[in-house]
Amino acid sequence: MKNGFVIFLSVAAVMLLSWGALVLAPQMQLGGARQVPVLNSTDVYPLARPGTAAQGLQVYRANGCAACHTEQVQQDGVACDVVLLSPGKNPSAVSNLLATLKLTGLDEGSALSASDRIAAAGGKVETRIRATGSDIARGWGLRHSVAEDFLYDYPVALGSLRVGPDLADVGRRLPDPNWQLQHLYAPRSLVKGSVMPPFRYLFETRKIGAVPSPDALNLPAEFAPAAGYEVVPKPEAKQLVAYLMSLHTDVPLYNAPFTPPAPLKP
Amino acid sequence: MTVNESPSTTNIDASCRVPLLALFSGAALWLVVSSALAVVASLSFHMPDKFGDIPFLTYGRVQPAADDALLYGFCIPAGLGVLLWIFARLGQVPLRGGIVPVVAAHLWHLGVLAGVVGILAGESTGFAWLEFPRGAAALLFVAYLLLALWAFMNFTGRREGGLFPSHWFFVAALFVFPWIYSVAQLLLIGAPLRGVVQSAVAWWYGGNLVFLWTSLIGLGAAFYFLPKFSDRPLHSYFYALFAFWTLLFFGSLRGIPAGAPLPAWMPALSALNSLLLIVPILAVAVIGWKTVKGGAVQTCKGGSYCMIKFGFVAFLLSALLLVAGACPQVSRVTLFTWFSVAQTQLHLYGFLCITLFGSIYYILPRAVGRDFAFPRLIRLQHWCSMLGIFLLVVSLAAGGLLQGIKLHDAATSFDDSTRAMLPFLRTSTMGLLLMLLANLLFALNLLTLLFLWHLSVIKTVVGAALAPLGKTGVKA
Amino acid sequence: MSDETPSPKSGTEPTAARSHLPMWTLVVLLTLLYLGGIYFDHHSGWFDRQVYAPFDNAVQLEAYQPKSGAAAALAARKKSYEAVCGTCHGNDGIGKAGQAPQLAGSEYVITRGFNRLAHIPLAGINGPIKVAGKDWNMAMAAMGAALPDADLANILTYIRGSWGNKAGEVTAEDIKAIRASLGARPQAMTAETLQALPE
Repeated sequence: MKNGFVIFLSVAAVMLLSWGALVLAPQMQLGGARQVPVLNSTDVYPLARPGTAAQGLQVYRANGCAACHTEQVQQDGVACDVVLLSPGKNPSAVSNLLATLKLTGLDEGSALSASDRIAAAGGKVETRIRATGSDIARGWGLRHSVAEDFLYDYPVALGSLRVGPDLADVGRRLPDPNWQLQHLYAPRSLVKGSVMPPFRYLFETRKIGAVPSPDALNLPAEFAPAAGYEVVPKPEAKQLVAYLMSLHTDVPLYNAPFTPPAPLKP
Repeated sequence: MTVNESPSTTNIDASCRVPLLALFSGAALWLVVSSALAVVASLSFHMPDKFGDIPFLTYGRVQPAADDALLYGFCIPAGLGVLLWIFARLGQVPLRGGIVPVVAAHLWHLGVLAGVVGILAGESTGFAWLEFPRGAAALLFVAYLLLALWAFMNFTGRREGGLFPSHWFFVAALFVFPWIYSVAQLLLIGAPLRGVVQSAVAWWYGGNLVFLWTSLIGLGAAFYFLPKFSDRPLHSYFYALFAFWTLLFFGSLRGIPAGAPLPAWMPALSALNSLLLIVPILAVAVIGWKTVKGGAVQTCKGGSYCMIKFGFVAFLLSALLLVAGACPQVSRVTLFTWFSVAQTQLHLYGFLCITLFGSIYYILPRAVGRDFAFPRLIRLQHWCSMLGIFLLVVSLAAGGLLQGIKLHDAATSFDDSTRAMLPFLRTSTMGLLLMLLANLLFALNLLTLLFLWHLSVIKTVVGAALAPLGKTGVKA
Repeated sequence: MSDETPSPKSGTEPTAARSHLPMWTLVVLLTLLYLGGIYFDHHSGWFDRQVYAPFDNAVQLEAYQPKSGAAAALAARKKSYEAVCGTCHGNDGIGKAGQAPQLAGSEYVITRGFNRLAHIPLAGINGPIKVAGKDWNMAMAAMGAALPDADLANILTYIRGSWGNKAGEVTAEDIKAIRASLGARPQAMTAETLQALPE
């Protein structure tokens, strides 16, 4: 190239294209995102995080939790399972048919033909959609993460390294706030081989007053403070735990469909 | 040493003296700081309980601080310094008004200080490679603009009209950083976008900075020094043009990892362009091979030429790892593992830092007009940094693959994958310690040179002040 | 300093040879671009906002939406309700002032029996009526008279089970019986005649 101006113009053109493809286009597609309806329900998703959880996200950011934890569930595929709800008027025919058919891990077409055949034999069936993948099998989520999961978050802390488990659905998986508080204070008291650093500076060890604080952590002997002292979470610890409790991605959406497991009947 | 340089070359080198001292010595300090922080961060895996009471030593703050100190504290100012000198030399025009780059260098280092302290204090912005808080970012932006402006003025005022391939790479780098930095700061921190678009912008910025910008600077320096040391012309102009365009085009349209919570076309576009990077990699490999082969044979004694060649090979390796990591079958295993960390460290330290070491060891003595105080430590530094980065990259890459395989198998518990990683992390800590030693040796040489220069300046000033008046003095 | 043998030409700057770019570079580039295009075609979802990995395109995403069973039935009922009743009574069931009263929490909806409720769409209703504490005086046509039994049953089941309402379902046979008892051209209901019916 002959002169600086030509280089500058051409580099500018390439960078404009790059900006257009990876900044402008995503913003045009997702910038106007709103709450979306949950599949087969009158609910909408997501709901904004409650105040303490939003503050907890700032504690998450300040302490660099995203350096070790991701918040994006991966899904490798989708499978259909055909489930018999009732054998209908001809149970023996249906059971003979069931013995010959594959009913789990099907693709959509095979599931449709299997369910049609059972329905024709008089049985009542339901086709259940479920996500597949190692993250799903580990119980880290029921479906892959989508844009709507992060709609109201600033900053969106997706993470890029899994030194620790994925946290996108941790509110469903570990719903006990006391477990989370104890895990923050002394990770190795709950997970034997953990390399997570203890966040003791988010807690206060103080002398027990007239009455032990209701917030005090219930720690096993080797992690407990000296006699007469209790460990109480500071507001930052409670906010962080509130944020972790609010991390749920267990609703089916149009872009991440699955059949929710049936709620237990009372 | 200066016997063979033409007088005007000495002038050109001398004109860069103070700006380069300001840029390089600050950069050397940040290099040591970043290595120290990286060692502290990696200790967290071996003695997790040690720093539980100290907020600014927790892994989540120290690791990003180390990464940013390396990239912003060393790579960018050192890269800009090398760029300034190469522009001056190629254009045969001395750097004028040197006070402005010196001020800019100090502003830059002040910005990095504010940024690193900010991260450790909990003011990180939360975006990868962009963690410096606002005030620090503003300082960095202004400093870069000043340095880029000065470099561009020197470039447009060049006496030698024709352009050498390094010119294109450097001019592109001058433009790319302010563009991506201002966009990222505006859309992520100034007037943040909503939702997961933030992540798309952050990944765009990270990919363009950590891969594209560093490649432009490092290759610009390599394409200057390889023909210079091998005493043959760069092979060739059109290969380099082809490599430049394909690197710029494909390298700027990537960055979004597979499986991101974004519509499928974004990770697909990014993976596609990462895979297409094989084209510029092959072109660059051919350029390097044909330029060096049959050229002046110099036994590798750990000098500048050795470092530039090592850095060049590291570029090819790290870029190949990047291409491999973009293949869907591979990314399924390596996603979210230490493998990508290994690739990044190989690119930043193994390629860019070692190329910059080689360049600085060549440039600075010529600019200052005197040799380093400990020339034999240069070779020791080179071996330590080579061995260190080798240990770091191999252990993290192998460990990352193992971690990925275990994570991918849902029957293996997560604790098993953590336990499997620990021996590899231990080896990586040893690599980091070696790199820290290497960086200390580098900083030692640079800072003693700075000190000796200061001494000589003071001696000159004092000498001039105390000198008796000549025959033109007033007769009593 | 560095240990390289000093070059006699260390003062001169490097140059670039001007040999031409061989053809294979362009061939490799174009081939890879073509293969890349195929890859993008298969995996990009063609810029559809809703298609995320692992889905490949919008058609596949649509195919995997849960369709059968209780969930699908709910979806179908919701669709019918919104098509027939939602315009006036609101998709959220809270009604619209000047058009139709609320169905959420309405005492005519959440009764244990569905008899009174079923008469309203089958026969129509007019005249003053108090619903959830508000007075209404409008005229509703027999919007359900033309609907098949199953559809109307679905809609009533949906109304009785949504927006906090927790009343039981209505079956097609029930609707059939009520339709039969009303006859061919029933009179529109009023609040009084409605109250006079068994629950």
